[in-house]
Amino acid sequence: MLFEPFTDVYPSFWGWLNQGPLTLTLFLHTVIVLPMFWLYFKEKKRLEQEK
Amino acid sequence: MAKSHSVWTSIRFWRQSAAWVTGFAVVLLILLTFDTMRQIKMGGKRVPSPSVINNHIDYKYSKKRGHEVPVIGDKEPFFGKQWSDEEAAALLHKGKLTSQAKNCMNCHTLLGNGAYYAPDLTKAWLDPKWKQMMPMVGAKTKEEAIAKFLQHPEMYPTHERRMPNLKITPDEAKALVAFLKHMSAIDTNGFPRGFSKGVKEFEAGGTYAH
Amino acid sequence: MLTSIKNNNLQFESQKLGLMYFRVALILFGAQLLMGLIAAIQFMYPEFLYGLFDFSVARMVHINALVVWMLYAMIGAVYYMLPDETGIEAVGIGLGKLAFWVLTAAVTVVVLVYIFIQIGPGKESTIWFINEGREYIEAPRWADIGIVVVVLIFYYNVFFTFMKGKKTGVMTVMVANLLALAGLYLAGMFFTDNISMDQYWWWWVIHLWVEATWEVFVGTLAAYALIKIIDAKREIVEMWLWIEVLMLFGSGILGLGHHYFWIGTPEYWWEIGALFSALEPVPLVAMFVHVLYDWGKEQGAHGDRPAIKNGPAMAWIVTNAFGNFLGAGIWGFFHTLPQVNIYTHGTQFTAAHGHLAFFGAYATILIGMMYLGVQGAYGVERMKATFKSKMAIFLITFGVLGMTVALTIAGYEQVLVERAELGGGWDAFFTAQALPWMKQAMTWRTIMGVVTFIGFVYLVLDLLTIGKESQKNS
Repeated sequence: MLFEPFTDVYPSFWGWLNQGPLTLTLFLHTVIVLPMFWLYFKEKKRLEQEK
Repeated sequence: MAKSHSVWTSIRFWRQSAAWVTGFAVVLLILLTFDTMRQIKMGGKRVPSPSVINNHIDYKYSKKRGHEVPVIGDKEPFFGKQWSDEEAAALLHKGKLTSQAKNCMNCHTLLGNGAYYAPDLTKAWLDPKWKQMMPMVGAKTKEEAIAKFLQHPEMYPTHERRMPNLKITPDEAKALVAFLKHMSAIDTNGFPRGFSKGVKEFEAGGTYAH
Repeated sequence: MLTSIKNNNLQFESQKLGLMYFRVALILFGAQLLMGLIAAIQFMYPEFLYGLFDFSVARMVHINALVVWMLYAMIGAVYYMLPDETGIEAVGIGLGKLAFWVLTAAVTVVVLVYIFIQIGPGKESTIWFINEGREYIEAPRWADIGIVVVVLIFYYNVFFTFMKGKKTGVMTVMVANLLALAGLYLAGMFFTDNISMDQYWWWWVIHLWVEATWEVFVGTLAAYALIKIIDAKREIVEMWLWIEVLMLFGSGILGLGHHYFWIGTPEYWWEIGALFSALEPVPLVAMFVHVLYDWGKEQGAHGDRPAIKNGPAMAWIVTNAFGNFLGAGIWGFFHTLPQVNIYTHGTQFTAAHGHLAFFGAYATILIGMMYLGVQGAYGVERMKATFKSKMAIFLITFGVLGMTVALTIAGYEQVLVERAELGGGWDAFFTAQALPWMKQAMTWRTIMGVVTFIGFVYLVLDLLTIGKESQKNS
């Protein structure tokens, strides 16, 4: 019962991502947070070089 | 001086992160907005065209979706006639305009938004109360009853709180009824839930023990 | 505040203009409270002013005065901090003053029309000249256009002063955020027959103001005020500010989804609105921690000299930090998930959240900024709280908390009886409204409203006198 049949009125990309437990919102949060790792390591490298 | 080299206290890191997150959230919102615009266009499956006022409208539980959905049924006369697409659109335009001009939203809620001094109007067209109101205002149909009530609400008090007379003309009242009927046909993802389900028990004295 | 109109210690015209905005803001704040009292009495005695000054009118002026006094105080606060942050006078101060008078004249006309004309026929002319009938942004179209012009002048002043003067991190955030704040108003300036479309864009203005750009604005003001009041270190304050921007916009922009559950918009907004807006309280906790941390750190760092240079301003800012978290954060979270929102949407629960959030998040810090303005106008080195300051903050906070608790109880009752038990609709609504629990709650709400108003009287008296008293004492 984890994944339900698609019941949206209109099919859409976002609706397609939304067909499961928090799948859409977890996807969006991941996409938002992941590049921050890259920013973190870039900044870390920069600070080490300065030292 | 190892302390000053932590990324966690680097203003640059937080500034870049803030810019990234804000920018990306805005982009996502814009993309979502495009998709939503497509879905809520008037005349679509979520927001029907104005000519829906020519149809019977119901609000039924959908097992598939887990909540009630509007059910657009057979043709029925609205103020004794069928309205052409243009006539219906003009009537809805006037109704929406009147709803704003009379400031409905600062007592009622529309789609749940507004003030909380008077009943929610989302599914007001479907309210069983109008059946009681029909003999009270001397009307043969529901739409006539609503129109008559709107023109002289102060004459038909049903509770301690009365709607004031907002100088609504017969034409404006007709248009407002069209606006309400159209709104009741909008797919609101099941809001309000179980609309008016307890009213029968309430009328029977609010108890099942009879 | 009044005695210092002509003769004051402020070096910059921009700061004097800021004070002019504060004065009008305070008057509108009073109007807001009076209208709220009328509406509260109408909940108890529906015949009160019936047919003459109906609930819809009182309520419209109540929420419009709220929005406008806050915008006034916000503009005032920006004009006040502008020379402090950039080190120079505002570039177009003459134009800025003209805009102030134009805006004040326009607001007066709009309010008079609201009060005396109230409604119009169902025609385009009504939304152009009387009122637009859309909650919070009822201002008629002509006033909308006027507001845009005035805001453009204001933004011109802020932007070019910033470009010419020193560029601090605080002002960088302020300038960027103000552009978004002002631009969003345009989303609420068109008419459509489609009520779902109408409310979709309406929320762009309301939500992206109060749950995104206004919150960042508050973060910016708090940063400025902490530097000013307790000499907080700029690097630390600015680092916090960027973290706050990150979290506020990260959660707040897509948190907009929690208004798109039931207005005809697609199913996917349930998930987006639920989780993003559930995270909205996180930055508010961070802001609270930040304020207390800085205060604790600066306290005792200067030997025997107390860290706080402006007692009442600091008290209001600490109240802001907590009130923002409690009112916007906790009370918002209560009903932000669709699973509960399907029942709470459109009930007194929203009103409870609205009262505590607008007060906790915005009124508090803007009052704090007014105290900073008074301190500057009288050139007082150290301003201590007076008896009146203490009465004001205590009574207003206690009053608003009391109203919130009363409305929350009314909300519980309405949610369970009207919505869950009877399913909404005409009779369900009035059955719930007539129950003793609702009536008691509405009585307590009115009593607490009166308490708030008495606190407001103390606040006005204090703002008018504290400057002179502090001058005498120092």
